[in-house]
Amino acid sequence: MTQIQLEKLESDEYSSSKKGKIGRLLKFYLIPGWRNPDFSATEYEIGKLKSKRRLFRRLLTPLTIAGMMMILFIAILGVYACWLTQYPLELLCRPYTPPGGDPFAAPSPEHPLGTTRYAYDILGRLIWGARTALTAAALPVIISTAGGLVVGSISAYFGGTVDSIIMRFCDFWFAFPLLILIIIISPMVGQDLYNLLILFGVFYIPASTRWIRALVLQVRQNVYVRAAVTGGAEKFKVMFKHILPNAMSPVIVGFFGSMAGAILGFASIAFLGLGDETFADWGTDIMYGRAQFTAYWALFWPGLFIAIAAVGFMLIGDGLRDALDPRLHI
Amino acid sequence: MARQARNMMKYVFRRILLMVPILLSVLIFTWIISHMMAINPYLNRLAGVLDRQVLEKELRRVGWYDPWYVKLGIYLKNFFSGDWGESFIILPGEKVINLIAEIFPKTIELMLFSIIIVPIIAIKLGVISAKNKNKPKDTLIRGMAILGAGFPVFYIASLVQIFVGLSLGDFTFDGIDIPVVYANNPSLTMPVPPGGAGTGFRLIDSILYNDQIYLWDTLMHLILPVFCMIFVSLSGVTRQTRSSMLDVLDQDYVRTARAKGVKEKDVINRHALRNAILPTSHLIIGGTAAALLGSLFVEVTFNYTGMGYYLLMAIYGGDYLVINGFLVFSTIIIISGTLIADVAYTIIDPRIIY
Repeated sequence: MTQIQLEKLESDEYSSSKKGKIGRLLKFYLIPGWRNPDFSATEYEIGKLKSKRRLFRRLLTPLTIAGMMMILFIAILGVYACWLTQYPLELLCRPYTPPGGDPFAAPSPEHPLGTTRYAYDILGRLIWGARTALTAAALPVIISTAGGLVVGSISAYFGGTVDSIIMRFCDFWFAFPLLILIIIISPMVGQDLYNLLILFGVFYIPASTRWIRALVLQVRQNVYVRAAVTGGAEKFKVMFKHILPNAMSPVIVGFFGSMAGAILGFASIAFLGLGDETFADWGTDIMYGRAQFTAYWALFWPGLFIAIAAVGFMLIGDGLRDALDPRLHI
Repeated sequence: MARQARNMMKYVFRRILLMVPILLSVLIFTWIISHMMAINPYLNRLAGVLDRQVLEKELRRVGWYDPWYVKLGIYLKNFFSGDWGESFIILPGEKVINLIAEIFPKTIELMLFSIIIVPIIAIKLGVISAKNKNKPKDTLIRGMAILGAGFPVFYIASLVQIFVGLSLGDFTFDGIDIPVVYANNPSLTMPVPPGGAGTGFRLIDSILYNDQIYLWDTLMHLILPVFCMIFVSLSGVTRQTRSSMLDVLDQDYVRTARAKGVKEKDVINRHALRNAILPTSHLIIGGTAAALLGSLFVEVTFNYTGMGYYLLMAIYGGDYLVINGFLVFSTIIIISGTLIADVAYTIIDPRIIY
């Protein structure tokens, strides 16, 4: 059947009697809560088929809830940062040094967790640093996943020469230890936060390309793809409308795992001193804290929060993977 | 079997041939990066010269104004004839090849313990964790694995440095003193007499030449960094083993083996583990890259002068020849590690034919 005949068949079902049509339309718009009886019956049936209730039940295991609580905590710190601490952001980062301040002081009533190297308040930097951490988690992963999706799908779907060239390039890229490459190139792009994050994202595109290509190759074996191609869909439509939505669930799992990795990676760069010092960042805090070892509180708290953020994302990723696993026939 | 061995040799040969263009591309890439660094190394030497004519003549003599293909050609020619350049900032006058040959054994000593110990313990822990899924043992092992993976390695290293290195010495009045900051006691020298035969590895040399103080000193300096590296590597391998074992234990052949009456110990170790070990083996063998990177942070934290430490000092100083040499060296190691891991795939699972 052609597309036109199919559409006519569908529309015939719901407007089987032409004379009731305007009445039903008016009733739908004017009476709040009125639903067309046979339409809602069909929707109810479809809704039962597509039920997500079992998915949610499998998702809410204790460990995953713990992960979600951790990320919620960090997100609240990030969003409500202005109200949670008395120090605005400018007083806590580099170009400003508090005059007459006491570096590495013990906890006191006005600095509840003590101070770090240039007499910045630790608690303030923790709270404002949540924003930097969440940005450092989100931005590189979005860039690398988007790039990987596009390049990986193209490479897997077209095959042949295009695939070989892209795979050779990825092989070449994998020979480098990525973090060392980022450390070498970051002084050249400047020490701005967004430059570093975009650099991170772009450097991780080959890794996600390879992985998404393997996924797309697996999904391509299915019969519905062949049906779509036979039905006359053009290449990009088959790729992005038929193949990709079915390959999405491992991509979502990998998204969260990469976010954890991005937080740790950016903290490592900042620890070496190559991060952005005009933002309150937890990695730079650990670097500051190493200047005086007797004041161990200066590096204990930022590292703990990095761990909370990374572990939270990892737990959510693991929970999603267990829930979306098609092999558990629950 | 002979045909498979021949195929394997052809595959390995093809992979080694493939390494050559990758190596060339890596060389060109590092050359491009080092020329983007915008450092003029000759200004160090010509620092006091104020006359522009003399400066320009000297720079023209050493080839500063040559076009890029001439520079690239000279670089590649020097590289393949063994002249990897000299460091001019971190250790002025030291040849890069000699630097690598001196320093790489220190990093190997650091990674050696973790490469030997981690597979043994981590696979055992992963199997235990998969057998008792969602029971207390599993939660405990998973918790520790997530701690190792979630906490950044330099954070664990710094905490260990403070609480075990410094405080332990303070509390016991130097009775138990684990030195933390210097790589070796500065007053000790290598036990190899000048002109004697030595391997360059401190542990082996001190055993060969029976220098007990040096051996004890090196071991004390190695304890904390090795502990940090083991802790972090353990977590990755344990999580991977656990997840592969969980996949395998759901399969039908495990159910058949149990129904046949095979002992549980044999079901796990002989039937299930062999099918689950494949991704883990790739992680362990090809994980030389991760070991290099992890050792960079641990070395920087403990001031342990291995390859990562010198690489970082070179990056801070802008010593691009040292950076080039170290980067190409790491790349060679990583590519070889991946090749060995892929060949090991076929040894572990004979069904895989390339």
